[in-house]
Amino acid sequence: MSKKFKVSICSGTTCYVLGGAQMMLLEDCLPVDIKDDVEVVGSSCLQKCHEPNAKPPFVQINDYVMESASLTKVIDYIREHR
Amino acid sequence: MNYINNAAIIKRQVMVRLAKLIFDDTLKDNIDLIPVLMTPKNSESVRCCIHHDRAVLKSRVKVLLGFTAASDTQADEVKLLKEYAGDAEQQGEDRFDDRILTVIDDACSACIRAKYQVTNACRGCVARPCIMNCPKKAIRFERGHAIIDENLCVSCGICEKVCPYHAIVYQPIPCEEACPVNAISKDEFGKEKIDPQKCVYCGKCMLACPFGAIMERSEMFDILRDIKNRDKMTVAMVAPSIAGQFNTDFGKIVSALKKLGFDKVVEVAYGADITAQKETEEFIERLGHKQTLMTSSCCPAYVQIIKKHIPSMRSYVSDTYSPMIYTGEWVSNQWPGAARVFIGPCVAKRFEARESAYVDNVMTYEELGSILIAAGVDVVECDDQEPDKSASIIGRGFAVSGGVSNAVLASAASRGVNAVGKPINGINNKTVSLLKVLDKTIKEPAFIEVMTCEGGCLNGPGVTSSPVVAKKFLDKMLK
Ligand code: FES
Repeated sequence: MSKKFKVSICSGTTCYVLGGAQMMLLEDCLPVDIKDDVEVVGSSCLQKCHEPNAKPPFVQINDYVMESASLTKVIDYIREHR
Repeated sequence: MNYINNAAIIKRQVMVRLAKLIFDDTLKDNIDLIPVLMTPKNSESVRCCIHHDRAVLKSRVKVLLGFTAASDTQADEVKLLKEYAGDAEQQGEDRFDDRILTVIDDACSACIRAKYQVTNACRGCVARPCIMNCPKKAIRFERGHAIIDENLCVSCGICEKVCPYHAIVYQPIPCEEACPVNAISKDEFGKEKIDPQKCVYCGKCMLACPFGAIMERSEMFDILRDIKNRDKMTVAMVAPSIAGQFNTDFGKIVSALKKLGFDKVVEVAYGADITAQKETEEFIERLGHKQTLMTSSCCPAYVQIIKKHIPSMRSYVSDTYSPMIYTGEWVSNQWPGAARVFIGPCVAKRFEARESAYVDNVMTYEELGSILIAAGVDVVECDDQEPDKSASIIGRGFAVSGGVSNAVLASAASRGVNAVGKPINGINNKTVSLLKVLDKTIKEPAFIEVMTCEGGCLNGPGVTSSPVVAKKFLDKMLK
C-alpha cells in the first residue's frame, strides 16, 4: 500500500550544499503522529535550482515543490495537509 | 556540533556568486554588484536595512578574496571590490598572514558585555538579595525591576545564585564562550577582536557567532585562478572526511573534481597511512627511551594550543608529520611544479599549509561545494572514477575521533608493545585544563590522540553536511 505523502528530498549538489544536507535526517526525526503516512526518498536534481531567483534546498511533497525547505517546514506542511 | 543555519547559507551563496564571476571572467565588471544583487531594492532585510546588509555582504566578498575584513583607513572604506580583486591578483600569496580568521565589524552585533541578564520574571521583591550581594554595586532598581549595569558588572554570577525567583539568567557571548583559549574579546567599542598571538585557528568562534560575523580568509581566488590556467597542473588532495559531504560515493567526487579542472585527485588518507606507520615507530622508540606519554600531532589546532598555551607539553607531541604533509610530499615528487590544493573541513590547516613547503592552498568542503554549484557540476550525476592515488581503510578512519589512536595502538600491539590511550575528543576549557596536567596524571605507556573538533574532522568548521549524516557515509566507506 502506498503512503499518503511521498517526500522526495533533492540531493543534487546545489540543494545539498545550500542546506539540504540536513534534510537527510528527515526519516529519523519524523514525529510519531505522521510517521506512518510518510515515505521519504532521495532524488537527483529536481531542476528547480536552475530557475532565476531559485531558493534551494527543494523538497517535493507529492505534487507540491517546497523551496527553502527545512525539517520543521516539511513536518508542519504534512501536519497541515493530513 | 556543526548545525546548519542561515548565516552559513548566506556565506555559501556569496561564495557561489563570486566563483561564478571568476569562472565567467567577469569578476572586475560585476563583483561590486554582488551585494546589490543579493539584496535588491525593496527586499526584506536581515539587519536594520538593506544598506547594512549590503555593507556586510561587501565585507564578506572582501574576506572571500583573501583579505581581512578590517578597513583601517578612509581609503579602505570607499575602496571598491574590483580594486580588491586587482590587489588579490597582484599581491598573490603575500596578502596572507597569521590572521587566519577575521571579524566583520559591521556584522558583529557587539553582544552586551555583561553575561548576566535580569528577565521579566523579576518580582521586584523586598529582600532584593541581588542588590545586597553584588560586590560591584552593578545592580539598581528602576520601575520595580532590577537592572544590571553592563559597565560595572564583572559577570561573577552571584546575583543569579541568590535570586529567589531564578529571574536572572546567564547569557554568554557566543564567540567568547566557544573559544577554548580566550583569544577573542571586546575592544573599546564592544566589537570582538581576535588576538593573533593567542588564536589557534580552531574556527569555533566562527561557528558560534549567530551573526556570521567571523569568517576565515578564503584562498578560493588563487585556487580558481590555478585550475582555470590549463598550462598549470593542479592536484586536489582530498581529506578522508570528504565522506558524506555530497551525499554520494567517493568515485563521483573524484570525477566532479576533474570536471572542475583539477588534473589529479589524491586521497589524503594515503598520507594518513604513512602518519600511522611513522607515529607507531616513533612511539615505540620513545617508550624505549623511558618516555611514557606521546600525543598525536595530526590536528593542527591542537598543535597550536600546545605551542601557544601549554608549552610544558611540547615534548610529548609526536614529531611525525600530518597526513596532509606526507600526501603533499608524495605529490611534489610525483608531479613537480604542480599546484597542490588540500581540500578538507579545517581552518587550522590553512596555517599548517602556509608553514609547509608541500602544500600551496587550502579550501574547505563548503568552498568546494559552492564552487561546484558555480561551475554547474552536479556530483550526483558524475560517473565513478578512481583517484590517482588511493589509500587503505586505516587511513580513511582518521576522519573520526579515535581513528588515529586505534591505528597506532593496534599496530604497536601487533609488534608486542602494549599501551593505553583514551582519545581527547574535542577541545574546550575542560580538556585544556586536562591537557595541562596530562603528563602528571599518566603513569603507564600511553598514546593520546587529540582532536580539537568534537567527533573528529567530520565535525570540522568547513563541512557542508550534518556530521550525523556524514558519519553514516564514512561507516559505509570503512566496510
Ligand atoms: S539541486 Fe535541487 S533542484 Fe537542482
